[in-house]
Amino acid sequence: MLELLRDTYHYRELIWILALKELKVRYKRSLLGVLWAFLNPLMMTAIFVVVFSKFRVGRFGIEHYAIFLLCAMFPFTFYQQSMAYAVQSIIANGSLIKKVYIPKLVFPLAAVLANFFNLMLSLIPLAFFLWVFDHPFHKTWLYLPVPMLGLLLFTAGCGFAVAALGVFLHDIGHILEVFLRAFFFLCPVLYDLDHIPARFHPVLIWNPMLHILRGFRLPIYAGELPEPASALISILVGVVAVVLGYAIFRRFQDSFAIHV
Amino acid sequence: MPTSNAYKIRFRDVWQRFRIYPKRGRTLRDVFIRLSPGFLARRDLEALKGVSFAVPPGECLGIIGRNGSGKSTILRLIARIFPPSSGTVEVRGHVSPLIELGAGFHSELTGRENAILAGVILGFTRREMQKKLASILAFAGMDEFADVPIRQYSTGMLSRLGFAVATEIDPDILLVDEVLAVGDKGFQQKCLERMHNFRRQGKTMVFVSHNMDDVRSICERVLLLNDGELLMDGKPDQVIVRYEELIRELGPGRPVRKRL
Repeated sequence: MLELLRDTYHYRELIWILALKELKVRYKRSLLGVLWAFLNPLMMTAIFVVVFSKFRVGRFGIEHYAIFLLCAMFPFTFYQQSMAYAVQSIIANGSLIKKVYIPKLVFPLAAVLANFFNLMLSLIPLAFFLWVFDHPFHKTWLYLPVPMLGLLLFTAGCGFAVAALGVFLHDIGHILEVFLRAFFFLCPVLYDLDHIPARFHPVLIWNPMLHILRGFRLPIYAGELPEPASALISILVGVVAVVLGYAIFRRFQDSFAIHV
Repeated sequence: MPTSNAYKIRFRDVWQRFRIYPKRGRTLRDVFIRLSPGFLARRDLEALKGVSFAVPPGECLGIIGRNGSGKSTILRLIARIFPPSSGTVEVRGHVSPLIELGAGFHSELTGRENAILAGVILGFTRREMQKKLASILAFAGMDEFADVPIRQYSTGMLSRLGFAVATEIDPDILLVDEVLAVGDKGFQQKCLERMHNFRRQGKTMVFVSHNMDDVRSICERVLLLNDGELLMDGKPDQVIVRYEELIRELGPGRPVRKRL
């Protein structure tokens, strides 16, 4: 674990450069460029608002549904996109891995960092909706660094795991896509746990993202703070994910150069 | 016990095994096939069979041998691109990135960005690399192509850039794999001069080549490999004579498999 912290610090410039490269490649060929970082969440939110709020598919009757949705959607989108990048981060950097020694962990970390820039940019559409709906900016926003840290750790941990598996099993990219779509509906993004019949709760509370998402939604949407236990769990989940994910990554990293 | 400065590189009984699969794709289907009892297509290739040697500081070591004898595997082990299957490889100091035919670092990045990336990997800061950039581009003779992604470079341009970067960032150990084969006469001359300079500065160098004149002019000691075994270790003239005999006896060797 110490090695993880040391290498991350030592190679911070490299991680930074690789993350910038990811972004450059992502937006280089599109006409609107970085604007897509705003447009994408705006459009997705618009779709879900129409389906769930206007068509009343869910019939949850939630006030300011766009905001309710967006404040859980943007962390989830970050997670989802980071996974998609992390799973091919080692393979995509094969030419580098085969020519010079680099601690391999910089690649999944750079994938997560690149998407973190996007996460920060997606606060702008969120602010836009707050303004449109005349929804108050609560002081509880100051709590956001806590779920943010939990989210980053959890994403990095999962990123390590899928990056390593992606080298050996190319199907993992497709499996991941299906899994993430299912996971999206299992996460309290479109709804809150309260909207689900109580008999499903004993299962749903095992969702590792539960308290992280709650840490975003409560302060932004309701202006409330989650209870200390929830805050603690959201960080703890992240730490456990990093420890496990990095252990998997470390187990396989020596043979990456031979297999990519 | 030798003192800590007695060698820059030391191999002790190094074995390297590669698993050769009949098909490269690692899909779920392949996994199922492998689990089935009749699957025996996998075989091991022993690229190195118990190789031991040490390189004292300031020595220029040549490695010669037929195709597929394990020369490049030794370079990759020195560069820590993968660890040996068994035995130990010890290396002291910064090692240059591998320069080989058609080397590039990251195909989507420009020549300039690649040079900076290579330096950052070896522990320089971006600012330090900015300063070295002018002389790197001048040596490679490609000022006008500095901002073109290297996937558009020709093979000659790539190895010129690779050689310029690897020598300009001033590594303790320079690894050169057959770079002189691609440049024109003028560039070859520049490379040879620079390698002689390196020697004069007392730097350690490992040089792989099929051109015996180059080996004779640069190296003070030569290893002869055959089929993963160290056949001879000594003065260039004697080893080269033995190599030429070997070629006459056995022919040019098994074709190089593109392992990496």
